Amino acid sequence: MAFIATLSTGSGTATIRLAGELDAATAPEFHDAIDDAVATGAARLVIDASELTYIASAGLRALVFARQKVAEDVTISLVGVTEPVLKVIKMAGLDHGFDITGS
Amino acid sequence: MPRIPASLSSLDQVAAYVLSLAERAGLPPGLSDRLRLAADELATNIVVHGYGETGGEFAVEGGMDGESVWVRFEDDARPFDPRSGYRRPDYGLPFAQRRIGGLGVYLALTAVDGFTYRRVAGRNISTLRILRDGAHQNDQRSRAG
Repeated sequence: MAFIATLSTGSGTATIRLAGELDAATAPEFHDAIDDAVATGAARLVIDASELTYIASAGLRALVFARQKVAEDVTISLVGVTEPVLKVIKMAGLDHGFDITGS
Repeated sequence: MPRIPASLSSLDQVAAYVLSLAERAGLPPGLSDRLRLAADELATNIVVHGYGETGGEFAVEGGMDGESVWVRFEDDARPFDPRSGYRRPDYGLPFAQRRIGGLGVYLALTAVDGFTYRRVAGRNISTLRILRDGAHQNDQRSRAG
């Protein structure tokens, strides 16, 4: 399955750009990117999901993992979230844990 | 459809099969997405919890009738009723304390309009069904608030 997680950092912000489909097979790659992002010590984590077309529970678990892994005062923003992905996040009741903006 | 290896790398194949079925059935994108999500979660369960390290094969088939589209999984892993892992997310808990085991099954069963499980002659048989008009699911959602 085509999935790419790319980490970039700058100005105290770590940005993970997700593209493709995030399921149980590809979630480990997202986990790794989260680990790398946390290691930078950035004060803000931005997850750019504008090119993410699908998310399964394994992807949601990675999001929760990110929230639990970073310090409480680190903001996590999900930006560019597409409608199909947002629906799954809401179905799981996780839409209140993040600062989410749609595409 | 041929039997497919119980491996996470097979999830693509399951998704392609279900999306193709949904297209043939003329399901709108929202319903097609829900059927795919549920099928993906069930297949993941079979691979991870059913077969685990031992590996194996499972079969997926699907079809449609006047009012619904269905997808059925069959495997010969240990007896495993996906509903046993069902747990509604605890919306009341602070986010950082959420336990998220059972989320896949929750999503699968929430996404579709019907689910049945049977253990027959050493095989697990799970069937997902989605209504073409999506009416039942919408009712459930509004009740769930």
